[in-house]
Amino acid sequence: MRNIILAITLAYFLAACAAQGQKGADIEQRDLFDQQKAAQQSATQDSARQAQIAREQEELKRQLEEQQKRQQAAGQGDQAIVRPLSDGTVGGSQLKGDAWEQLKEAGSTLAKRSIYYDYNSYSIKEEFVPVVDAHAKLLMQNGDLKVGVQGNCDDRGSREYNLALGQRRADSVKRAMVLLGVGDKQIETVSFGAEKPVAFGQDEESWAKNRRSDIVYPGEPK
Amino acid sequence: MQRVDSSGLNRLRGWLLMAVALIVWAGSPARAQPLTIEIIGGGANQIPITVLPLAGEERFAQRLSQIISADLQRSGLFRLGSPGSVRPFPAEPVDINYRYWKNEGAETLVIGSVIEKGDGRAEVRFRMMDVAKQSQIFGFSYLVSTQQLRLTAHRIADAIYEKLTGDAGVFATKICYVTKSDARFELQVSDADGYNADFILAHKEPIISPQWSPDGSRIAYVSFERRKPIVFIHNLADGTRSVLANYEGSNSAPAWAPDGKRLAVVLTKDGTSNIYGINADGSGLVRLTNTPHIDTEPNFSPDGKYILFTSDRAGSPQIYRMRADGEGDAERMTYEGSYNVTPRHGPDGKSFIFIHRNEGRFNVALQDIGSRQMQILTSGGFDQSPTFAPNGKMVLYASEVKSRGILAAVSSDGRIKQRITAQSGDIREPAWGPLSNNRRKE
Repeated sequence: MRNIILAITLAYFLAACAAQGQKGADIEQRDLFDQQKAAQQSATQDSARQAQIAREQEELKRQLEEQQKRQQAAGQGDQAIVRPLSDGTVGGSQLKGDAWEQLKEAGSTLAKRSIYYDYNSYSIKEEFVPVVDAHAKLLMQNGDLKVGVQGNCDDRGSREYNLALGQRRADSVKRAMVLLGVGDKQIETVSFGAEKPVAFGQDEESWAKNRRSDIVYPGEPK
Repeated sequence: MQRVDSSGLNRLRGWLLMAVALIVWAGSPARAQPLTIEIIGGGANQIPITVLPLAGEERFAQRLSQIISADLQRSGLFRLGSPGSVRPFPAEPVDINYRYWKNEGAETLVIGSVIEKGDGRAEVRFRMMDVAKQSQIFGFSYLVSTQQLRLTAHRIADAIYEKLTGDAGVFATKICYVTKSDARFELQVSDADGYNADFILAHKEPIISPQWSPDGSRIAYVSFERRKPIVFIHNLADGTRSVLANYEGSNSAPAWAPDGKRLAVVLTKDGTSNIYGINADGSGLVRLTNTPHIDTEPNFSPDGKYILFTSDRAGSPQIYRMRADGEGDAERMTYEGSYNVTPRHGPDGKSFIFIHRNEGRFNVALQDIGSRQMQILTSGGFDQSPTFAPNGKMVLYASEVKSRGILAAVSSDGRIKQRITAQSGDIREPAWGPLSNNRRKE
């Protein structure tokens, strides 16, 4: 019985991951895109079918949770819910092999995922324009591909003001890409403010590393 | 211990440097980590008071006279006298040898007793006596559950504080704050002295901006647990919570209106960060600012008529004030410096505290709303998130020492300072709760 539940759970996650065109996506990564992405996708093509699949997945998840609750309450499980799963084709297309390699190729412009800022600024500096351009181009070539842009700040001053500033940083990258022709729905922005530093010193070197926007592709660690 | 040396402090003569470290254990190890409170400095004119052990208090784990003394001492406004050599300690006025206490230099004596009632309750009797006049200033008897002895001691300290300073005491209040240890964030609530700390929320994503509802029953906060900032309201009595705002983009900076029914929040769903009004159940969303700039950190005036907030509409972040309904033009409040953020009204509505950057240092400052006079209260470099005690006499804020997040407190005249550290990890985002219901009715 436990095996059946496990298999269903696993099947659900695999379906959900595949649904977003992610290979080996971890569960954490899913959260950023989950419902909103499903909603955005439904607005584009094949909306009815995708919505149907999303509903089916929701329903399956709900039933699974209910089943688990019942089993926990009863201390045993004697019923399995077996439901057909969607074919997992919802969502963005898989990136072409070349693009993936470029994204990972050390030294390539696409391997650069961060745009760094001056203190209290959200303007994209000249040196980072090629980075924004390269990712915009990739997104235009893969119209179904969706990315996240995460805005960050150094941790001085106000956490709330930094949260707002991080949002402006992420939005400025999105705006630049949309102006270049990337679809509005292809980019989702979020701000982590000063809450997710990558450098922890109290010096300009650390602060400079934390004042950045990260472009995050599906399936990548945050 | 590192001493705080601001020019304002050094100017004061008759300075008394007190360093009282209270190791505060928060119940069992399974609960929140202990906090340590250090007191740095004190007022030039401290009020002398002698708090004697209450008869019978030694039968309880929490000695009331020690709690009362620690409260008064921590305020920096009192000078605690010696308990003398007369035994047993006087418990009633007839027991007092006034000549002896006069010779000891005592001016005000606190005496009393704790009598166990056998039904899980105890009677706490206390009196404040004027040694020179050989008469009682005031006295109370409390019949309480033995679980409430600590709270009763805080209430006695509040009564003494109020009688001798004229201001409401805040020893029986609560604070909340966020701890970060490894990859775990906890939103904790504790007594104002750091005891009885326990977390109400814990996960591996950041928690920021907790704000107490005006009646102290709920806390609104921003949690990143769903990988984006969402505002929740947490009910302290039953631990339930609800989503206040989860729109596209950022949801943050909750601020309670004084009626406890509405809040202001900051959303980016329509573009940049703007301020919105919202009912506590999440309904009735109304946009209050409409600019292409950052508008954030709303804070209601105590009368509910105004909102102070931070905006970069003039290029750098500055503090503005608008009507609570968003109508009319916002008035710029700060002009000194290029970074003024996180405004918080004082309980009397006449002043506000905020974070002011000066020569690369971020400090707590106080500004009078009428005269626009500004005073910098602290001397650290990375101060954040100031919160007024509900009597307006102290400001609790987050700071940093050796790259470690700590809490610190400063009196609103800048004279008295405290530092509060967790046993390990960072402590940040403090919010001081309101006076208790009983207190506000008095």
